[in-house]
Amino acid sequence: MPDFSLTPEQESLRDLARKFARTEMAPHAAECDRASRFPEEVYRKAYDLGLLNLNVPAEYGGSGLGLLDQCLIVEELAYGCGGMTTTVIAHCLALEPILLDGTPEQKERLLKPFCAEYHIAAFALTEPSGGSDPGTMRTLARKDGDDYILSGEKCFISNAPQASLFTVFASVDPSLRHKGVTAFVVPRSAPGLSVGPDEEKMGHRASSTAAIRFDDVRVPAENRLGPDGNGFSLAMRTLDQTRTPIGALATGIAQAAMDQAASYSLKRETFGKPIAQHQAIQIKLANMAQAVHAARLLTWRAAWTIDRGQKGTLESSIAKCFASDAAFAVADEAIQTFGGYGYMREYPVEKLLRDAKLTQIYEGANEIQRTVIARELLKGYE
Amino acid sequence: MEIVVCVKPVPDAETRLRVATDGTTLDPEGVKFVLAGYDESAVEQALLLKEATPGSKVHVIAAGPSPRTEEVLRASLALGCDLATWVETPPGLASDPISAARALARAIRAVPHDLVLCGKNAGDDEAGVVAGALAELLSVPDFSAVLDLRWDAAATRLRFQRWTETGTETWEAPLPCVVALQRAWNDPRIAKLPAILKSRKLPIAKVPIDPAPPVAGTSRPVKFELPPARTGAKILEFKTPEEAAQKLVKVLKEEAKVFP
Amino acid sequence: MTGPTLVVGELEEGHLADATREAVGVAQTLAGKENVLGFLAGSSARAPAAAFGRVGVAKAFVAEDPRLEGAVGAVVAHLVASVADSVGSELVIVGGSTFGRDLVAHLSVRWNAAAATGVTALVRTDAALEVRRPIFAGRATETRRLEGAHAAVAIRPHAFPSPPDATTETALTAVPVDGIPPALWVPKRTGVKPAERGAGPSLTEATIVVSGGRGVRSAENFHLIEELAASLDAAVGASRAVTDAGWRPDSYQVGQTGKAVSPQLYVAVGISGAIQHLAGMISSRVIVAINTDSTAPIFKVADYGIVGDLFQVVPALTQEIRRARGR
Repeated sequence: MPDFSLTPEQESLRDLARKFARTEMAPHAAECDRASRFPEEVYRKAYDLGLLNLNVPAEYGGSGLGLLDQCLIVEELAYGCGGMTTTVIAHCLALEPILLDGTPEQKERLLKPFCAEYHIAAFALTEPSGGSDPGTMRTLARKDGDDYILSGEKCFISNAPQASLFTVFASVDPSLRHKGVTAFVVPRSAPGLSVGPDEEKMGHRASSTAAIRFDDVRVPAENRLGPDGNGFSLAMRTLDQTRTPIGALATGIAQAAMDQAASYSLKRETFGKPIAQHQAIQIKLANMAQAVHAARLLTWRAAWTIDRGQKGTLESSIAKCFASDAAFAVADEAIQTFGGYGYMREYPVEKLLRDAKLTQIYEGANEIQRTVIARELLKGYE
Repeated sequence: MEIVVCVKPVPDAETRLRVATDGTTLDPEGVKFVLAGYDESAVEQALLLKEATPGSKVHVIAAGPSPRTEEVLRASLALGCDLATWVETPPGLASDPISAARALARAIRAVPHDLVLCGKNAGDDEAGVVAGALAELLSVPDFSAVLDLRWDAAATRLRFQRWTETGTETWEAPLPCVVALQRAWNDPRIAKLPAILKSRKLPIAKVPIDPAPPVAGTSRPVKFELPPARTGAKILEFKTPEEAAQKLVKVLKEEAKVFP
Repeated sequence: MTGPTLVVGELEEGHLADATREAVGVAQTLAGKENVLGFLAGSSARAPAAAFGRVGVAKAFVAEDPRLEGAVGAVVAHLVASVADSVGSELVIVGGSTFGRDLVAHLSVRWNAAAATGVTALVRTDAALEVRRPIFAGRATETRRLEGAHAAVAIRPHAFPSPPDATTETALTAVPVDGIPPALWVPKRTGVKPAERGAGPSLTEATIVVSGGRGVRSAENFHLIEELAASLDAAVGASRAVTDAGWRPDSYQVGQTGKAVSPQLYVAVGISGAIQHLAGMISSRVIVAINTDSTAPIFKVADYGIVGDLFQVVPALTQEIRRARGR
């Protein structure tokens, strides 16, 4: 039988993340949401405490955490602010391809100096013409001697305005469709690379999102991850790793929404009693609790599976899809519980709905997650 | 400088307080134990003094039951303390501060100690007596409610301020001594993730339970009570505003006991 | 406990402190008036010690020595322990100031006494002494049984009444200041800066907060709230109605979007108690509400309420508080 208790070490990691979220993130959450501000001072503190390079092994200067440990941290951070947590997750996402397919020389050269100081990384896969369908990639990587010349455009790239390092997916041969996609590591200083303005978003406004243009950006072969055509497989394997922490992020948002609603329902009175004593509210709270508990356990199960070396595609897709849908539903019901106050931006609960929505869209939209789940599921029946 | 800092595991400030079934203490079910607030400042000050005085070491010592006492020692190691010692005491929440002081003194006597730092009081029983008792047990002077603690290496003197009800005092004193700290120079630091992971593997020296602790001079909790739930204000009747004022001051003094 | 109870005095601006008077009251209730002895130490202690007579203490021990000025608390503990032993005392009571708590801490070892600080009630039960004291920042109360032949107790300030005025002539016995370990004389107090009166504490750290709401009616009237706060050495807060109207800066706001405070005492003046405001102060230990509207929601969460015109009640209250605090 599985043991659901955390080790004292895991409790310490969770405590650290909780402390950081409550004392450093939460106080700035409303202001960054209002002003759409990327709070660099918060991310620098996260870096200082070892809460930024979560997935990078200690030998390269990271925190070297397994997936379950990362999820414990991510859930606590997301409780503080979903947007700030997206910055951290998107940063880890960008470094994951180097961890998966980088040679020891590449890891040493690209990761060590990067992790030795505060730096932000960005994962550049999505394009204006295709997010869910990376096989139709239009960013090209034209071979020129030992180098590649990148040209094209990426959009909705988290961390792009502040990143000093980009993990970029481009096609060396569009006729090969997804088999032509190749992965590269590109520094911001590369001539021809330009980043667009920060997009105005519905939520996650403490995280920055922008388009990137590649105008004949020269990338040496030594910065290519794996051989030509390895990119699509690398992207899929990367997302296999990073899908589960999104489940944890969504769980954090859901927990925050439920806590707000439950606490409010004990104080607010209508018809002579706290609304928590009205059945309509009790049913809402019960549904929220089911959703939060299930989201957390599905996320933990997926992380545990992957930590044991299994692919965990089915488990992680279920976790991401369920938890993000749960976060949206719980935040929605939380606002409803607050009634008119929930609609006012003075109260922190409406932000949770705006933040929850993105979790259903990014890192593999839930429609795609459902096709993945169906495909993985049916494998078992063939 | 050999600095010893004494810490205590206390229930987290956000703990929902419930009465234990035997009615004598807090219900331990689900209680999360953390480093007491003032103790965090004491550890911070110890580390700051260590950083300012090359060649110094910080030894953190705590008396209490397993596992919460080792956990706060690990938290202290993760913050940067060099050594840790755990003096085991019987399980439960019925603590007595003087017994704790005796337990701490047993451990402190066995190690080098120029300066013994404590927090002003612990967030649970708020007794604030450990530092004074330790000073007697170690036969050294002690100072309470200390602020702005500095070590003047040239004069080999501690320089500090003491907050008292009538004003702020300035002091200088030689080592060894015991200091109960009100505030460190900075806000307590947060332990970094790599240090937290490393601290799990660091050794903690253990001093076993005293088989025959003295009973005289101790106290034990016999009742733990929570204030009655709020049922609405007691409305004070009055005929004149002066009468209202007098009634309110009286009730704040005698009943609520919050009058300054 | 059959021996006399020894009350250790403390000086406040050269006079016997209020806390000492309260300690005498406690000792008299517990041990009987005739069984209470006083103790005072200081560079000038004989003259102030005569004030023990004003609370009905017939005999007091006095340690007067210039070296006691700026001496460490442990020195007094030495003297108290030896006096307590010489008179066969079993209980030492002192006011719960920094000095008092330190004294109790020292006596716990030096005099082998069961120690308790911040005590709000003392009761003798069969053969032991039980004390009540607040814990967890006042969120709970514990009763402790003090074991053994000796007990040293520091009472919480303002938790006990002062005894009625008396005209007893206190017989003073001099206590020689000797037998103190040399190490205790070495630390030097090099200065004292008297506490500043009037500089209010910050809203989130204050022990007492007085807040004004819409009922105050204008920016000009808000001084009533500030004067009431000053009389209590309290911090000043405001409801959102006040800050929205610009009567006071946003930094004064207590509530959902303002500051969350949890003082020992929160006085809400002219505040209706909308849920938005409650969010910022509901965890205060004691809440007092002053409002003309008896149906205002604030009265549901307050501990004490005055249904009245704040323009009459608040000035009267400020005056009464000043009188009670001797200002």
